[in-house]
Amino acid sequence: MDIAYTGEWTWAASLGRLLLALAFAGGIAATIGYTKAVRNNDEHWLKLGRWGFRFQATGLFAASALMFLLIFSHRYEFQYIWKHLNDAMSFGLVIASFWGGQEGGFLLWMCWMLVLVIIFLRRSPGAFEAPVMAIHTGVLTGLSSMLLGLWFGDFQFGLDPFLLLREAPQNHGLPWTLNADYLRLIPQFADGQGLNPLLQNYWMVIHPPTLFLGFASTLMPFALALSGLWTQDHRSWMGRAIPWAFFGVAILGAGILMGGAWAYEALSFGGFWAWDPVENSSLVPWLVLVAGAHLLLINKAKPGTAITATYLMIALGFLLVVYSTFLTKSGILGDTSVHSFVDSGILPQLLGFLLACCALLCTLMLPPGRDRVVFGGLQAVLAVGIAVADPALCTLGLLLVMALAVLRGHLKNLPRTDTESPIWTREFWMFVGGMLMFASAVHISFQTSLPVFNHFLEPFSGWFERLHQSTGSDLARKLAAHDLAPGTDFDATYHAIQVPLAFLFISITAFTQYLRYKSNSGAGLFLKLLRSLLTASVLTAIVSWTYGFEAWEAPRVALLFACLWSAGANADYIFQGLKGQWDHAGASIAHIGFALVIFGSVLSNAKKDIISQNRFGDLAMLNESLSNEEDLLLLQGDTVALGPYYVCYQERRQDGIHAKFAVEYFETLPASYATGQVVSNEGFLFQCTEDHTASPRFTEDLEDHWTFVPIPNERQKTQSKPWSAGKPGPYAFTLEPRIQLNEQMGNAPEPDTKRFWNRDLYTHIKWGRVSEPEADENGWMDGRKHDLMRRDSLVIGRSMLALDSISAVKLEEKPSYGLLDKDLAVAAHFRLAGGGADTNFVALYIVRDSLVIPDMVTLENRGVKLRIDGFRPAEATFETVVWENLSIRRDFIVMQATVFPQINLLWLGCLIMTSGALMAVRQRRKTQRLRPSRQKDS
Amino acid sequence: MSRFNIVVILLVAVLLGALFSVFTQNSESVVFARAFAEPGIEFKVSGTLDREHPVQYDPEKAVAETRFHMRDKNGQVQEVLLKESKPTGLEQSESIDLYGKVENGRFIATDMLMKCPSKYNEDSHSLAEATPEAN
Repeated sequence: MDIAYTGEWTWAASLGRLLLALAFAGGIAATIGYTKAVRNNDEHWLKLGRWGFRFQATGLFAASALMFLLIFSHRYEFQYIWKHLNDAMSFGLVIASFWGGQEGGFLLWMCWMLVLVIIFLRRSPGAFEAPVMAIHTGVLTGLSSMLLGLWFGDFQFGLDPFLLLREAPQNHGLPWTLNADYLRLIPQFADGQGLNPLLQNYWMVIHPPTLFLGFASTLMPFALALSGLWTQDHRSWMGRAIPWAFFGVAILGAGILMGGAWAYEALSFGGFWAWDPVENSSLVPWLVLVAGAHLLLINKAKPGTAITATYLMIALGFLLVVYSTFLTKSGILGDTSVHSFVDSGILPQLLGFLLACCALLCTLMLPPGRDRVVFGGLQAVLAVGIAVADPALCTLGLLLVMALAVLRGHLKNLPRTDTESPIWTREFWMFVGGMLMFASAVHISFQTSLPVFNHFLEPFSGWFERLHQSTGSDLARKLAAHDLAPGTDFDATYHAIQVPLAFLFISITAFTQYLRYKSNSGAGLFLKLLRSLLTASVLTAIVSWTYGFEAWEAPRVALLFACLWSAGANADYIFQGLKGQWDHAGASIAHIGFALVIFGSVLSNAKKDIISQNRFGDLAMLNESLSNEEDLLLLQGDTVALGPYYVCYQERRQDGIHAKFAVEYFETLPASYATGQVVSNEGFLFQCTEDHTASPRFTEDLEDHWTFVPIPNERQKTQSKPWSAGKPGPYAFTLEPRIQLNEQMGNAPEPDTKRFWNRDLYTHIKWGRVSEPEADENGWMDGRKHDLMRRDSLVIGRSMLALDSISAVKLEEKPSYGLLDKDLAVAAHFRLAGGGADTNFVALYIVRDSLVIPDMVTLENRGVKLRIDGFRPAEATFETVVWENLSIRRDFIVMQATVFPQINLLWLGCLIMTSGALMAVRQRRKTQRLRPSRQKDS
Repeated sequence: MSRFNIVVILLVAVLLGALFSVFTQNSESVVFARAFAEPGIEFKVSGTLDREHPVQYDPEKAVAETRFHMRDKNGQVQEVLLKESKPTGLEQSESIDLYGKVENGRFIATDMLMKCPSKYNEDSHSLAEATPEAN
């Protein structure tokens, strides 16, 4: 049955799918053509490859352009657009909706790959064309298969970015899908759902494209490495790969830190880095890529050094990007991340793609001929095993076979150096540094991958259980439970390993540039480094004194020292070593940037100061349990000390999708006290003997200005305020931490930050009311139960309700309370202080014939109602219910405020590092320009 | 044997040691019964929010105390005390990991991880009920 749908861009859906199918088909042809061309060096095959690639590139670019066209035309009949766009979104976010979902993410990733590979093609690729293009077209074909959107029965092969809503499986067979005029008639199609409000942030416009460009830039080094293995030319690819690898280092590094900046600015994780799997899984490829890029540099200077490691690092850079795509899109991480993931239905495809890329690398590592065939066969058998038999066991087997293949390749296929490097050479220390970075990546990856290991452990559960029973080993029991998760104490799970490793490899970046390649150049090294060592030592001493580092933090201080040393030594090198030739300073500048990034992140994280510890506010006798380590309760209108400030929560207002809570900050001035004033300090009362301005500590003033009040009278007791060194001074600024009202996801807090040059004040709402509380028609809110003893008190609106004393009602008093003689009654004498004249009243707990007679006390004008529901004589405790009227209610928020010292060094370091790496790329390109042109002539 | 190989072998050895030590730091996931059998020892308990009981958070009484009921993997429902202000999205959470220990017959959690409905959730907006507007 064909229905001609009115107003629907049916043609666009067909065109989009056609373009993607074209890209896929072109990709297959290109892969075959280029692959054959590598072996035969035949013009015809090359031609097939080139034409195939043209179709592939055209298909993918056109599909992306079509997607943008649909986005700009707001075609809400498309599922992808309906889900990620609405009319209210600003222009930047309209563009961002392109990568709001996985389909667009894949498209963006592939487009960047295409851009990079086209640049590569335009720069006379020579003999590299066929193998590099074969890898590229193959990878692109694999990725574009994720967008085919085919269904084989219940098995989904690829997502469909051009799926019309009426064709979506969940809408299948609904009556409106058969209505030709549904677009006009169904109100839901007038506007889309829009990007999740959590993502509606300007970072969403720039962070994903940068990160995806970073991801895409790992493919070129990978492809060059594989072509080296393929053609058994282990040398010439490396020089070519260097600029590409460092380009990836620059962009991916910037992308990762942008993610951190986004998290810091807009999400309330309480910082910029949380060792979250999503963050980790983009950091790990970056670390490995950095290691690989430096190994390439070594090989450029001394060909044939650590070839296997170079191949592995470069290849892993790309493979880990694919692995992280797999991790974050598969839903396997669900339990360990604050981000959430959904199994998008293409998990088998992603896994297949990942394993195919790994298998390709391992096969090519082997000597050509029989080894590769045998290995290929084994892989195929195990791959079938994954599909039909035991996935966990077969994947494990596959990984084992791959590792063996790499080992065999290392021993039998890849060349080794014949000359040993002396210890004090640049290449040796660069290698050590690279390996340390790799170790750091392995550790992070290990922690992130625990949920994956759990799947592998499952089949061995019984075996470990028996081992546990026979040996009593705790480890065996943990393994048997196959439910491992990284601990929540970052110091133990990450920092304990990462800090020493970073100390080592950052120290290496400090001195390695001063060494020469290939010759033992350690002599005089110490003298050259003396300046930077001294400066760093002095600065470290200042920093550790200023921020009060303690003995147990020695590793951290050592790391800070290494960062300062590295920054200093690299800056020094630009003048000492390079004599101010800035063209060649890219590497040094990048090292300075990296050192600053680590310095800023370590210092700001280690010495972050949560200043919102709940202290006593105006209402001095707040309950003890209000005090806690991190959060501050702010009643509207109260002015409370908060670190170096006084803060006052002013008002809540609604601004678009945000409820904003305006909190004013005031400078702190020293408090002044007048003669006769009574204050409390640590439970004792003191009277002021002389007008004075307070010192920072009470003990300093005690002798000269205060006398102890041993037996205070009632007035002194009730009117004394706790001593404080400060009082609110002039207005400083206002911060508006907010809660995003998000129907889709639930309300989400967003921080507001005051930036200073040397620190940030970062505040976010932990709890706040976003709508008026419920109350009955007279304005009474729901009653709240309190257990009260003598001298207990609670805050109600602007007043304080205190239970002053308890007495049994005597026989002669009973008539005045309207009680019978046989009644048993206990009287609670309450006082309502503040917010008006003090009011004393009595509430009764009455038992008549073993029944409790409720006695409701209502103070209408004060907006308080109270009833005693029970009395526990043993504890002298009343079970009371207190009602509060809306008219006296004061709004309040629970806020957390943190000071991050020197966090701006982190962002500055990011800029410096990226520019340094890009400078190095430019310089490498310049020096290399001669070689390819010579190749072209020959 | 080249110096480079020695570096690699040394690193692998150190790394294995480090991973092993980290391994023992990772907390163990258990059910309530186990945590109550060994009070005072920190465990991770995973489960889901029991929606039959309300989440209690009264910041005016205690800023950093949230009480709720959780159903563990064996189906046992237990009231727990979380020593934090109420985490955003607790009511919407799909699953919960609690880190804490049993003290005085009560499970007291000091840290908590939640899994919330996905950002890319497909089902949150459904057109199943869509009907043409009468006009």
